[in-house]
Amino acid sequence: MRRPPPEVTWWSRLVAWVDTPQPIERLALARIVLPLVLLSFQASRLVHADHWLTAIGFRVPYLGGHDWRQPLYLPALPPWLAWTIAAVTVVAGLFLSAGFLTRASAGLFSALLAYLALADRLEAFTVSKLGPMLALALCLSPSGARYGLDAWLRRRRNPAAPVPTHVRGGVIRFFQVFLCAMYSGAGIAKLRGDWLGGDVLWSHLHDNYQTWISWALGRAVPGWGWQGLQYVSLTFETLAPIWFALRWTRPYAVIAGLGMHALIGLMFGPVIWFAMLMSTLLLAGYLPERWLRRLFRAAPIAVSPALTPKTTSGRGSG
Amino acid sequence: MPATKPERDGRVMAEPWLSPRARRIVMVLAGIYALFVWMDAAGLNLPDRILPLPMRFFLQEAALFPDAARDAIEYRAEGYRCDTGRFEEIDVRPFFPIQRDDKESRFYRAMFFHRRQKKVLEALDQFIVSQQNRAHPDLRIGGVMLLSLRIPIPPPGTPEGRYQRLPLTDYPQEVERKYWYVTPPGERTQRCEEAAAP
Repeated sequence: MRRPPPEVTWWSRLVAWVDTPQPIERLALARIVLPLVLLSFQASRLVHADHWLTAIGFRVPYLGGHDWRQPLYLPALPPWLAWTIAAVTVVAGLFLSAGFLTRASAGLFSALLAYLALADRLEAFTVSKLGPMLALALCLSPSGARYGLDAWLRRRRNPAAPVPTHVRGGVIRFFQVFLCAMYSGAGIAKLRGDWLGGDVLWSHLHDNYQTWISWALGRAVPGWGWQGLQYVSLTFETLAPIWFALRWTRPYAVIAGLGMHALIGLMFGPVIWFAMLMSTLLLAGYLPERWLRRLFRAAPIAVSPALTPKTTSGRGSG
Repeated sequence: MPATKPERDGRVMAEPWLSPRARRIVMVLAGIYALFVWMDAAGLNLPDRILPLPMRFFLQEAALFPDAARDAIEYRAEGYRCDTGRFEEIDVRPFFPIQRDDKESRFYRAMFFHRRQKKVLEALDQFIVSQQNRAHPDLRIGGVMLLSLRIPIPPPGTPEGRYQRLPLTDYPQEVERKYWYVTPPGERTQRCEEAAAP
């Protein structure tokens, strides 16, 4: 007797969508680049670990436990421990990027980034908050399966073993959905703020975040140009779930997102690390597969069209 | 280590190390996380109501630069010189070496978040006085005035010079100064007397 086909429910559809195989290069790109961006952002803090985490620098006193400006009070560390945490964070991040002891280094990196974000609100920014989650995502996925030292060592031990070409989609789906949530939320926050009528972009060009590029643009772009950029940004961000869901708008959304982050990174000094982090997520999540393979110089897999699910063929893998 | 297994269609899947059940749980949690990040930015305060502060903190990341700046803000400090009995600007950047020249400096961040919290400003006062007196024992101070400058932003499209940090005395009258904290006179006198004692 044949077993009846499993019932198709919204849950089974969701699980199938999440599990759709994705090229392993997406995950490898995130694993290689994200830790380097996170470490680059933290670099100016890590080299002053004593001023950051110990009583040598200024510490905000305990505020009673119910103050949004101090989500958790963690006391100052002794200097040797602060320097140890700084060193281990760097090592864990570099190991993760190199794909060496990947799962352990990703877990450790995530935990240390979470500690560093909570230990001191004064040094916690958007990148500090995103870092632990992204490292945790890399930890929970097979991100060391290829393009890293772990993979190289495995291959040396067993040269005949097949090289993985795909991963189950979960972690990539997380990057994709998270980006849409982030953009859409940001767009709605801007709509609720001053972006429709105020001169937001122009108003943020005049302080010590200013770069020579933002200064030059401030002189070259007419007043209405800044308002126009605000509308473009609002349209892209608020409707991001649509732009990234539709196959034919997706490549343009990637280009628009990269352009927006490039402008932000070049115009607002230290914000460049946030821009690079988001750009990496964009590329890992949505870069068309053929471009991604070219980036890694990986040969496309010869797959019988009859056996290839639509979602993994060429442009459809996003 | 993730093993690999070839599939019929030529693909080789990297083996996940989480069990299918654990992957489903992680999937649901990841979805909730993304949803809460979106809700926080969109002004729906469900995460605020149900999550403790340290968890909420990791969701507050999407609402970036929603409002226009009314002015460009600079935070500065003046020190009460024990030898002259007058306040003069002191450069606190060496005492806050992380990102010392921009608004990610700890001094800026402390003033930005806590300029209305006396307890933090008193701690900042003590820290700056001790750092200044250690670095410049010949120019001892007994207290500080912590202030912000509100530098007007010109209308859009107005060509202007590059940003540069100016001494307090070089800012014109139209730049508003807001004093957030002054060390009480008794405290200043006491610190200066202690410094002068053999």
